[in-house]
Amino acid sequence: MNPSLLQQAAEAAANNSWVLITPEIMLGAIALLLLALELVLPKKHHELIPSISIAAQLGLFVALLVNRPIGLETEPFNGLLRLTGLGHCLRLYFLAASLLVSLLGAVALARRKLPRIEFFALVAVVTAALMLLAQANHFVLLFVALETATIGFYILVSYFRSSPLSLEAGLKYLVMGALSSAILLFGIVLLYGVAGNPQLAGHAADPLHFGALRHFLSANPDNLLASVGIVLVLSGVAFKIGAVPFQIWVPDVYQGAPTPVTAFLAVSSKAAGFAVLLVLTQEVFSPYQGLVLPLLGVMAGATILLGNIAALTQHNVKRLMGLSGVAHAGYLLLGIIAAFDDSARQLAVGAVLFYLVAYLLASMTVFAVMTHLAGEEDAEQELGHYTELAQQRPFLAWMLAIGLGSLAGIPPLAGFIGKLAIFVAAFKAGLYPLLAIAIVGVVLSIYYYFGWIRAAFFAPWRAAPQAGEAPVARMFAPAGLPLAFVLCLLAAGTLLLGLYQGALGQWLLAW
Amino acid sequence: MAELIFYFFAALTAGGALGVVLNRNTVAAALCLLLSLMGLAGLFVLLDAYLLAALLLLVYAGAVAALFLFVVMLLDMQGGAKRTPGWLNLGASAIGFAVLLAGVAATLARAHLPEPVVTAAPSFGFSLKYYAAQLFTTYLLPVQIIGFLLLIAMLGVIVISKKPREEQTPPASP
Repeated sequence: MNPSLLQQAAEAAANNSWVLITPEIMLGAIALLLLALELVLPKKHHELIPSISIAAQLGLFVALLVNRPIGLETEPFNGLLRLTGLGHCLRLYFLAASLLVSLLGAVALARRKLPRIEFFALVAVVTAALMLLAQANHFVLLFVALETATIGFYILVSYFRSSPLSLEAGLKYLVMGALSSAILLFGIVLLYGVAGNPQLAGHAADPLHFGALRHFLSANPDNLLASVGIVLVLSGVAFKIGAVPFQIWVPDVYQGAPTPVTAFLAVSSKAAGFAVLLVLTQEVFSPYQGLVLPLLGVMAGATILLGNIAALTQHNVKRLMGLSGVAHAGYLLLGIIAAFDDSARQLAVGAVLFYLVAYLLASMTVFAVMTHLAGEEDAEQELGHYTELAQQRPFLAWMLAIGLGSLAGIPPLAGFIGKLAIFVAAFKAGLYPLLAIAIVGVVLSIYYYFGWIRAAFFAPWRAAPQAGEAPVARMFAPAGLPLAFVLCLLAAGTLLLGLYQGALGQWLLAW
Repeated sequence: MAELIFYFFAALTAGGALGVVLNRNTVAAALCLLLSLMGLAGLFVLLDAYLLAALLLLVYAGAVAALFLFVVMLLDMQGGAKRTPGWLNLGASAIGFAVLLAGVAATLARAHLPEPVVTAAPSFGFSLKYYAAQLFTTYLLPVQIIGFLLLIAMLGVIVISKKPREEQTPPASP
């Protein structure tokens, strides 16, 4: 090897500052630790392992919260990553989601004869990949992190492999995910080819680096191949967030996946998609605003309408959560479009983050109640199963009501403030037609969310059971202490953020 | 001459790919995939990317396509019943095709693709050493992430295919 190459290699290696991605490395280590513990611990202590996973992640979460992030606004790993305040914020977000999913997983897996430990290792690895994805500054890292997360999700979706619906959902997600990855990769390759062309102005030596690509795009504001590449990349990301017209996989996969995994998909996967979309549209593709804006606008309008209208007729609550999640993706897209306007940018980005936090709190509350109440067949959770919930378990019913109310955007709850902030940002950016569509969507969503609340609170009339006849309604088990505690925390967070956003709001809007 | 070879390999690649999609016999489809991959490897050789060509033949043609063939033959699948698509499907496909065609025509109509000029290929194009140096310095983080990807893929295989074991039953003593 010649000396100059050696010199280059040494410099590149010195730029790999592993200490800056300590949280991700720790998560990877937790996954390995869990697998090693399964090997080492005697079988009768295996039920400890989920608790160890949750405790380790909780420790990591607290450590991240109290320590100031280091190396912000740098590009370590030769520009593969870019550490920002937003990225750090999302790290905390993914870790919180992973904690909750692990807890729900422990609740759901305790009742089934399935391999238990692997679930927690998979969740940890997927979370680490999502964290890296949110901080990616290079298409190579973006694609590798995205594929790691997606392959983890393929496995998690078909985790309840004794249920044919879970396997079917896994297969569907595999095929659709592979298709979306292929589209994304095709777009990346087109961008690479065109930005590396030495005949064009501003061509780059490393065209996959976000900064270099942006430089190239602003030097060639109307390149055909680059436009096609951008559309394909955005389509690939739209698959992950479930935006129309790439929402086709959502209902089946959300229904078939185990409920904790549905929560993981709804919260973490969607947030990661929006983090990537925010970076791509606001920074990398910003010279192509004339192309990106109408594209996202049509997508957002169609997503809000179709998600809400399709959710109106659902009786399966998991499908309902999936389709309403599509609608939520539409509102978030509205926030992203508003961020294109200079006067509304800061508010819009903060509003998207706030909305994601409110969505995490509310949908995790709902999914926790769903996980607890799920019967033998996890995929079949109908609205009718919630009959008499309020009479038997008022605590669970009220938690469900708070979660659903926040998702619907009812005033004293966090979801209302999130929607309000996004709508104000959209108003400031002058997006009146989209705003009108969004408001229609919100009104529609109240119908199906309150249909669910009605099913839980108001029992349909039925004749009093004759003596000796079995009662018709099913019996609900009380929630365990850890689950009840977490439900209380989530609901308190939803209420608190709805009434007072001060510190967190300022913190989020400061980026 | 080089152009002729290019067209030969391009036709092999595209024809093979079409064969994969259109063939009703799965074994023949897998063999068409092999053909398409060989055409692709030829194209890589024409671009002086010898290492990629060799990797493509070794990994995809040698291992992956062979695995496909193995699975297909093991399952002994027949073509299955031929289904005639309904009017709704046909109509939707026709509309989708028309929109796609219009899009391609529109982009081609306003296309101003520059005439490519042949430039010397970078000297590292076929050097294994260069790839290795890049992988273990600049792209070390993605390589590590892929390590985790393989780990969870392995876990997934175990989780999804392991036979459920009755836990509380003691082993039958002879």
